[in-house]
Amino acid sequence: MAPSQHVQVNLSPAELSYLRSSLAQSPPIRLDHTKGPKDFRSMRAEYDVLPGANGSARIALDDGLEALVGVKAEVEKSQRSPRVDEQEHRLTVAAGDMDMQDADDDDTKAKGQNAWVEMSVEIPGFRDEDALPVFLASMLTESLLASGGLKDRLYINRRFHWKLYIDILLLSPALSYPLALLSMTTHLALLTSRLPALKSEKDEDPLFDDDWDASVPLYPKSKGKTKGTQAMDRPPVIVLAMAVDQNIIFDPCKEELAVADAVLAVACTDSTSSPSGAQVIAIRTIDPPSHLTPLGVPNAMNSATGGVVPASTADAITQRELLASSDVWTPPRGGMKRALVGQIVKAVVEKGGVAEEVIQALQSIDVG
Amino acid sequence: MPLDTSTYSLALLRLDGRRWNELRRLHAQISVQAAASGSSYLEMGNTKILCTVSGPSEARRGAGGGGAGSSEGNLEVDVSFAGFSGVERRKRRQDKRTTDLSHTLTSSLTPLLHLHLYPHSTITLTLSILSQDGSLLAACINSATLALIDAGVPMTDYLTAVTCASSPSTSDEEAGDPLLDVNSAEEQELPFLTLGTVGREGRVGVCVMESRVRGEGVEGMVAVGIEGCARVREIVDGVVRGYGKRFA
Repeated sequence: MAPSQHVQVNLSPAELSYLRSSLAQSPPIRLDHTKGPKDFRSMRAEYDVLPGANGSARIALDDGLEALVGVKAEVEKSQRSPRVDEQEHRLTVAAGDMDMQDADDDDTKAKGQNAWVEMSVEIPGFRDEDALPVFLASMLTESLLASGGLKDRLYINRRFHWKLYIDILLLSPALSYPLALLSMTTHLALLTSRLPALKSEKDEDPLFDDDWDASVPLYPKSKGKTKGTQAMDRPPVIVLAMAVDQNIIFDPCKEELAVADAVLAVACTDSTSSPSGAQVIAIRTIDPPSHLTPLGVPNAMNSATGGVVPASTADAITQRELLASSDVWTPPRGGMKRALVGQIVKAVVEKGGVAEEVIQALQSIDVG
Repeated sequence: MPLDTSTYSLALLRLDGRRWNELRRLHAQISVQAAASGSSYLEMGNTKILCTVSGPSEARRGAGGGGAGSSEGNLEVDVSFAGFSGVERRKRRQDKRTTDLSHTLTSSLTPLLHLHLYPHSTITLTLSILSQDGSLLAACINSATLALIDAGVPMTDYLTAVTCASSPSTSDEEAGDPLLDVNSAEEQELPFLTLGTVGREGRVGVCVMESRVRGEGVEGMVAVGIEGCARVREIVDGVVRGYGKRFA
C-alpha cells in the first residue's frame, strides 16, 4: 500500500543517511540504542476493560501509540445453506458408525463463513474508507480467517450463528505503522473473549445460559485436550520486520521505518501440530515510507560546494547511479533478496523465536 | 421497553440502589496518553470516555475559515462512538446526535478558554465514547474539562456537569422529585436535563433539556443539579491536585 503522509518523518537526507548506516552496522545500533534487533518497544497491556463487550483489550506502547479493541458477538439468522441435504446425509452416516461425540465434531466442521467476522479499524484523522484503515482491516481479517477454526466455532445450529464484530480503535494518532500493535491488541481481546454457554439443543431457537461464569471462551484453552482435528486454538499475531542492508530489525519505530529497504508483515500463530515454534499464516510486504524521503544532493553535483550541476536530467540520473553505494542518501527502490525473506521467516517461527515470544507474552497476561 | 420506576415511591431507592441525591462512581484520570498534548479518561458509572486534546497548533489548511486569519484560537470538537459502546453493536458516523454533542461542547467550552492567547491556531478535542450508560453529555463535558487542564490550556475555571431527572412525585401536589445523575435506564423513562456549572459559585454554563417536564419541576431539578455539579467539581479538582502532587 502507499505510505501515508501521517507516517512521514521530517528527517534531512543527511540524518537519514546517518541512521541507515548505523542500522546497517553489525551489530546494528538502533535509534533507541538499548534495544537489540529483536527487541520490541515496551508496552502496557490490560484486558476486559469494557463492561459491554464480549472481550476487550487495550495496549499502550511506550511512545504513546495506544489501541483499544472490543469484540462483540450477536446472534444472527443464517442464510439457508444450499448444502443442507448433503450435510444431513453425512450426519446420519456418521451417527451410524461412530459415536455421538465424533458426529458432533463433524457437525461443526467447515460450516463457518467468512462473513460472520466483521472487522473495522478506526484511526483518528482518517476516514473509514481511506486506504490505511481499509488495508489494515483486511490484513488483520485475512490472517484471522486463514485458520478456519474461529469461524467454525461461531456456528450455533443450522439456523443461527454468532456474528462477531471486532472494532479496533487507535486511540492515539498513527505515529508509526500501527499494524503490529493492532494485531497484538486484537489477539489479546480475542483470547479473552467469552460467549454465553448454549442451553438449547440442535436446531431449536438458541437459548443461552445467563450465568456469565458458565460462558465458554471463544478460543478454548488447550489444556490436556490435544486433538489432531483442532489445529489452531489461538488467534494469529502479526509481526513487523524490516530489512536494512543485511540486517533484520523487528518492531521498527517510525524513524527506523523511514530508512527501511523493505518491510515485511508476517502473520503467525503457534502451531499445535509441532511441539515448538510457530507457524506462518500469511506474509505481506509493506511499502515503506522510505520511498518518499527526499534524496540527498552529493557535493559533486552541488554548485554551492564546488561541484558541477549536471546539464540534463539523464546526466543527473547517470551520476546518481554511480553514487549509489556512497553515503549520500538515495531512497531505497524496494525489492528484497529471497535469502533475507527466509532469514526473517526463520527468526519469526523458530523455537524461541519472535512469534513464540510474543504469543507467550500475551498469553501470560491472560493467565496472570 | 417499559421500565418500572414506580417502586421508587415505596423505598425511595432507585433501580441501582442509589438515593435521590447520590452520584454514581466517578473515576477519572488525566495524562493517560503520552502522544497527546493532554488527555483524560473518565468513568461515570458505566459511561466511559477517553478524551484527547491536540494543540494549540497551526490551523489546518482547508479547515474552512475558523482559526486561520482570526485573532482568536478556535476549538474543534470531534466526538466518536465506538461500535461496541452500546448494548447492541452499532456503527455510527456523524449523525445528528454526535453533531449536537460536539456543538454543545464547543459552545460551552469556548467562553471559558482564553483563546485570545492563541491566534491563528486550533485546539482539537477528540472524544471517544467507549461505553455508554446515560449522562453522556455530562460525562463528555467533565472529561473535556480534565483533558484541557492536562493540556495546559488556560481557562477561567472548571466546567463540570451532571444530569438531573424528575421522577413522578411521592406526594400528590408536588411537581416531582428530582433525581441526580441518571443512568441509561432512567434516561429512557424520565424527563431529565443536563446542567453544567462554572466555578465554585456555580454559575450555570450549560443547560440542555430534550424531554418534556412540568414547569414546576424544573426549579428543583436545577437546584439539585447545581449541588451535584459542585460535588463533581470537588472530585475533578481532587484528580487534578492529586496529579499535581506527583510532581511536587
